[in-house]
Amino acid sequence: MGYSFTLRTIYPYFGDLWQSALNTLLLSLLAIVLSIALGALVALMRRSALRPVRVLGAAYVEVMRNTPLLVILYLVYFAAPEAGLRLSSFMAALVGLTLNSAGYMAEILRAGLIAVPPGQFEAAQSQGMSGAQVLRHVVFPQVFRTIYAPLGNQVIAVILASSLATAVALDEVASWMQTVGSSSFRFFETFVVAAVVYLVLCQSVNIARILIGRKLFPQGRRA
Amino acid sequence: MIQYWPLMLKAAGTTLWLSWLAMLLGAFGGTALALLRQIKFAPLRWAVIGYMEFFRSIPILIVLFFVFYGVPLLLEVDISPFVAATLALALHASATMSEVVAAGIASVGRGQWEAAAAAGFSWPQTMRHIIAPQALRVILPPSVGVFITTLKESSLASIIGYIELTRTGLLVRDATGGGFVPLLALGAVYFVINYAISQVGAALERRLHVGRRSDLVGAMA
Repeated sequence: MGYSFTLRTIYPYFGDLWQSALNTLLLSLLAIVLSIALGALVALMRRSALRPVRVLGAAYVEVMRNTPLLVILYLVYFAAPEAGLRLSSFMAALVGLTLNSAGYMAEILRAGLIAVPPGQFEAAQSQGMSGAQVLRHVVFPQVFRTIYAPLGNQVIAVILASSLATAVALDEVASWMQTVGSSSFRFFETFVVAAVVYLVLCQSVNIARILIGRKLFPQGRRA
Repeated sequence: MIQYWPLMLKAAGTTLWLSWLAMLLGAFGGTALALLRQIKFAPLRWAVIGYMEFFRSIPILIVLFFVFYGVPLLLEVDISPFVAATLALALHASATMSEVVAAGIASVGRGQWEAAAAAGFSWPQTMRHIIAPQALRVILPPSVGVFITTLKESSLASIIGYIELTRTGLLVRDATGGGFVPLLALGAVYFVINYAISQVGAALERRLHVGRRSDLVGAMA
């Protein structure tokens, strides 16, 4: 047992950590926003009147939920150049993460849409509301309430999953841990630092979710 | 490509074995944690909740790096990629499973505990004969979801050089001169396995009359 914990050896690498943490944050943030948009599209496809469109939407969700993100990342990273696209590591990671997360987002949003009873659409229309008004004042508030908690979970899941971008050569927090660890032989320390970064990111989301949830939904179900 | 199919199928077996072993360890660990949480001693409960929150808030990849690269430096022992992957997957699965098991135990009404106590059952007897059989109904379907997550996460073992399904797919890709067809085949093998397992899970839900598979935190892999 000759191991003593010391952060001094890895201190020079903290500058790189800042850049890596920014990459993790930016990648996660973009993937969350884009996958909500793509997920909404897939969720609407699953409600389409056309059967082929519905089947396509359902197939998308099943494929994304049953295939490892790592394989999807490799596919995007290696297949894109063959289609004549030169994707940077960041872009490949963003596309892979977004495609995968959209499968989960679609399910979350679909559950939210199901929670609005069909009678409410008719009632709102009979009050003379336009389609946009129905969405804004009737559908959205109820959908939002249903999806609030699972959406928070998915945001955390995307932050954690962004670590796989290290496999397509993006410098983010997990790859910082590995490169600095292997050049300094201080894997315990780099693990602790990386864990703290992820803990801070994920628990901030978690705590913000609880606090905002209390403000938004003062009575009834807590997120 | 066709000549490599036997290799891919054998690798699928390796992936299944790795995930199954990790899931088994994770289920035992998770059950132990959930039972510890039942004990009315606050520091113990906080410790269990801390463990869960910790593993829910860090990516499994850095746990894998730590077990594979860090633990050998720390304890001066050799750890093979297989052992490292099994351990990391099991640690992660145990945190999720403890929540699944705790929810299962909580689903059994208070009255059952009281009735068992009135009938003179001890705590272990109540757990074993009254609570566990009913809780299992609620625990089984989400466990299938945890297994699928573990199976997908096992692909990360390829990053530390363990030759399972994903690493084999990448090797086949190299051997066949690049291209994305081997990767499509790789994805297809994973999909078939996981889809089949998810159908078993859905059948279980119908048989046991419980709610839909809910994806837990960190389920994306």
